[in-house]
Amino acid sequence: MVFLSLSLLTRARGPDEFWRKRKIFKLAAHFFARRRNCYSVAIRGVHRALTYSTIGRKLKKKDMKELQEQRLEAATSEHGLNFWILMEGLTRCNILLNRKSLTDLAIWEPRSFKAITDIACARAKQDHLKTKLNIQVPKSVISRGLIK
Amino acid sequence: MSLARRGQVCVSLILRIIILQSLHLLPIICRYLSQTWLIIFAVSKLLINLQLFLTYFQHWGTFARIWHVYDAKWQDPYKSAEMLKHYLLGTNKPIYHPLNNCGDHVVVINSKEIALRGDEWQKRVYFHHTTYHGGATWTLAWELHSKDPTLIVEKAVYRALPKNLQRRHNMQRLHIFPDEKIPEDMLKNISNQIKQLRDVPVRLNHIPKTEIDSFPQLLRYPKNHILK
Repeated sequence: MVFLSLSLLTRARGPDEFWRKRKIFKLAAHFFARRRNCYSVAIRGVHRALTYSTIGRKLKKKDMKELQEQRLEAATSEHGLNFWILMEGLTRCNILLNRKSLTDLAIWEPRSFKAITDIACARAKQDHLKTKLNIQVPKSVISRGLIK
Repeated sequence: MSLARRGQVCVSLILRIIILQSLHLLPIICRYLSQTWLIIFAVSKLLINLQLFLTYFQHWGTFARIWHVYDAKWQDPYKSAEMLKHYLLGTNKPIYHPLNNCGDHVVVINSKEIALRGDEWQKRVYFHHTTYHGGATWTLAWELHSKDPTLIVEKAVYRALPKNLQRRHNMQRLHIFPDEKIPEDMLKNISNQIKQLRDVPVRLNHIPKTEIDSFPQLLRYPKNHILK
């Protein structure tokens, strides 16, 4: 009797060992010492690095959001507001600018950003948002209670 | 300080440059451009230059280190530190980035007259260990303050800053003085004052006699009346 199943169950190891290893070595090119030159060590490092990069893709988004919020907090406090009032005021006015574009405005176009904070401030004042800040409706915004 | 305001710090410098430039150009203009329209052309060119200069220096002003002064009189050092750390780290600027070295200088004056809450002068303890046996010391806040009146503020800010390798570099930009005397070279850099967390009230025994006398009274005690 011929037993074929065991030999068939062994993994197919690819067309050529050289090219299979080369793929891994390319990913390990920036590692140090044996981690880049020995395959058995390099493959472990590459697996580790790829896991980190998967996690890092999520962390990057979180970090960017944190940075943008920090920048907006700084930019709004220059005008006597805070980040929460800005976002709440703009959302209520149906101005749907995201954090990234607001940050860009705050850095590159401080006067446009000032105009935006004025609108948010007027809206916050009109809707009687609960804040500890002593803010006044800017004179540049004329709403006559019409913004809804 | 807003972005635009920051740019105006250098205005005097720009004007000086413009005046020097125009003075330098004046004899040349007179010699070569005798016709009026050419002079008008030159002047308009100069004005455009002025606009360019302003934009240029505004850009510089954004990245300049600003010197702030903070009066610590009757302020809680621990609450002040939470506020001052934003200036030292640069988190009060929209251009902030953790790798961007954009922190400002803060000069704290009157650190001798700080106020701790409640009975903290007696209860707050500063621990130090020399790493030798029996080298531990516990110093009370009032003792430390009598030894060096700047140390409590310094330790408070050091504690408030994020615990990383930049902490000591950020502390380099904090200058603390026990009284109102600031060295001349620092004083000339200062361009902004940070608002105190609480206004310093006038002490009752410091109100001038004339003001007390002129204050409206409901009744006046007779001269021979003795208050208990």
